[in-house]
Amino acid sequence: MLIMRRRAGESFLIGGEIEIEVLEVSGTRVKLGIVAPDAVQIQRKETQITRDENVSAAGSVHRDRIFSLLEKVALGSSLQTVKTLTAVSPLTPQDS
Amino acid sequence: MTRIQTKCFGEMSYSQDAVFEFPNGLLGFEDERLFVFLSQPATHPLMFMQSLTQASVCFVLLPILAVDPNYQLSLPPEDLEALRLPAGRQPRIGTEVLCAAMVCTGGENRPHPTVNLLSPIVLNLRERIGIQAIQTLSGYSHRHSLLALNPQPELASCS
Repeated sequence: MLIMRRRAGESFLIGGEIEIEVLEVSGTRVKLGIVAPDAVQIQRKETQITRDENVSAAGSVHRDRIFSLLEKVALGSSLQTVKTLTAVSPLTPQDS
Repeated sequence: MTRIQTKCFGEMSYSQDAVFEFPNGLLGFEDERLFVFLSQPATHPLMFMQSLTQASVCFVLLPILAVDPNYQLSLPPEDLEALRLPAGRQPRIGTEVLCAAMVCTGGENRPHPTVNLLSPIVLNLRERIGIQAIQTLSGYSHRHSLLALNPQPELASCS
């Protein structure tokens, strides 16, 4: 990983077309300004991770896998507790 | 009662007040705004988050405290607002909100089931609104192994 030290107001370039400027530094937070061509998608890393994980999760839902999941994972032992937790968090407001 | 086609349980009926709205959709499923949450004894404690518009879109969830009894949910002001919850404090899991983690049962290069603790589904039960609340600074894993889920003595004493 390339490590670069910059102060607020300074910037750096990635390739010829992407510029990232440090706008503000405050405590643990950094505000960045990004200039890039429209074709370059910019998003938070956790947003991309969540999108990928959502797609994987949805694709992994199959009836037979659900039952093997229940067998494989030691959920049974915490069953009673889970029931208690969900008993106070009903799935429909009507039940509350 | 209205009937829908579900991915895992065939045709089912539901009442309108069991429908939750996700005003922002879900990442990767931006067009899916309406979901019903299904559970049944045979698959307890799993919950099924079934899209109302597409039968093929269904997520399997686990109550987050069943995975990690010490899970700390931290909602930023914009998430509290989206859920129509009071600002300035965190909601209580189990009473004010239902908080659940999405399960990935496995897949290509992923032999073991995992849950996403980074991006839990949070539901305001009273308002019937849901969001996926990314826990940016939490350090929680998006692929937390479910095989590590062992019975916890302190859990048992809570019940």
